[in-house]
Amino acid sequence: MSKRSQNYLSWVKNASGWLLPILLVAFWDVAARNGWITSKILPAPLDIVHAAINLSLSGDMLQNILISTKRAGGGLLIGGSIGLTLGLLNGIFRPADRYLDTTIQMIRNVPHLALIPLVIIWFGIGEEGKVFLVALGVFFPIYANTYHGIKMADPQLLEMGRVYDLNPWQLFTQIIFPSALPSILVGLRYALGFMWLTLIVAETIATTSGIGYMAMNAREFMQTDVVVLAILIYALLGKLADTAANLLELRLLQWHPNFRHG
Amino acid sequence: MPIQNLNIRRECNVYPASNYAKPKMKVVEKVNQKSTSGIEIKIENLSKSFGDINVLENLNLAIKPGSFVAIVGRSGCGKSTLLRLISGLDQADVGTIYYDGSQHNAINGDARFMFQEARLLPWQSVINNVRLGLNKAEFPKALNALKQVGLESRADVWPSVLSGGQRQRVALARSLVHEPRLLLLDEPLGALDALTRIEMQNLIERLWRELGFTAILVTHDIFEAVALADRVILLNEGKIDLDLDINIARPRQRSDMELNRLGEEILQRILTTPVTS
Repeated sequence: MSKRSQNYLSWVKNASGWLLPILLVAFWDVAARNGWITSKILPAPLDIVHAAINLSLSGDMLQNILISTKRAGGGLLIGGSIGLTLGLLNGIFRPADRYLDTTIQMIRNVPHLALIPLVIIWFGIGEEGKVFLVALGVFFPIYANTYHGIKMADPQLLEMGRVYDLNPWQLFTQIIFPSALPSILVGLRYALGFMWLTLIVAETIATTSGIGYMAMNAREFMQTDVVVLAILIYALLGKLADTAANLLELRLLQWHPNFRHG
Repeated sequence: MPIQNLNIRRECNVYPASNYAKPKMKVVEKVNQKSTSGIEIKIENLSKSFGDINVLENLNLAIKPGSFVAIVGRSGCGKSTLLRLISGLDQADVGTIYYDGSQHNAINGDARFMFQEARLLPWQSVINNVRLGLNKAEFPKALNALKQVGLESRADVWPSVLSGGQRQRVALARSLVHEPRLLLLDEPLGALDALTRIEMQNLIERLWRELGFTAILVTHDIFEAVALADRVILLNEGKIDLDLDINIARPRQRSDMELNRLGEEILQRILTTPVTS
């Protein structure tokens, strides 16, 4: 087989996954144009593009994306750092583990989204409530994976550290933390999923700004194009966050055979 | 077959190490006489048990500074336990270990331990693994140590891309960079293929002769013990069953008749000793 036809074949293989989505969108477009689906149910793909352009030009869309991203980032930062700290603390110090882990596991079993009514009472519909919910949502995956990662540190390596007279701080930075890092990064990826999920729900229920608000507001006026646009923005932001986490893994876990590229 | 140039002492190891009269041997010629830098070890009445099992029972042993001692025996005879006690990684139930006449309790910079696994940090490059526990000013030493084991060209790769033998060479470099006066080897060559083993044995022997540390090697491989050591100690059920001086001039040929005869002798002794537990 010639090299050229091989290249062609591999191109077809790579592209074949995109065939169905393209066909579906094409069918959707045709269906919307011919009135098989009314725009109240689902707008035509081009209408969504129009909505995106209009909202971008007015600055509303960027504004809302910015606000949502801030909430997400703030919650991730707060919940993530508490989760990381407690995970490290309980993973390393047995007494801390004894006193704290049971409580944390009990709280974990409360679905954090069930707290929304209470959170509205506590914080109103301001920023704090949403950041609080996101922080709560990202806390557990980061906590649990950090804890697990620390517990999985190889006792053989720890013993080796003893042979080399490493002090506790060196043991932590050289052996314990790097051992836990792959697990912590898995926790981060889970946390990013929870982050967007929590934000979507929180913004839909009680808010006056953000992507969720944009969608709920559009629903009042039956602007299905904006609603679908908001959904797509969420999807895109989620994908971006996941890609960022992936790049972080590739960078920090270069040593790991499973993450080596090329 | 008559036994001439070796002393077999079959003992129930009940007398203290101070009375332990080890016949003088003077065969080993060192490349450079730095044997004074090796640690002298004395072990008195050492016992260790795990639960109901007595792993070591009232063991006495004296090891000359700069000598190369191999400890052999069946699995579970207590040889690894003995090595871990000597290092200070584990504590004995009863008995004392002396380094150069003073009591030794916890592992310190004088002794380095090589495990069966290389135990390199997978997230550090080879050179950074060798630098473990060094301060910045001493970093140049790490590259020298890598040169000693012939791996300076792999300084910047991750350990995961190295072969098993190369990893153990890095572990050896990491041990030697601290200029230990005692090197404890817990079957570090056990997982290597036959050819790599021989290369590693030669490397360890060469570095031991150059650097003059005391070396204690725990091994399953009787012929490895005989080829490398000045003295082979056979442990059986926590007691010294046989204590042989190997007075064969270095560098030793693996095909040496005497060496093979001694190996066979020890092997037969192990095989004919009944296993009670």
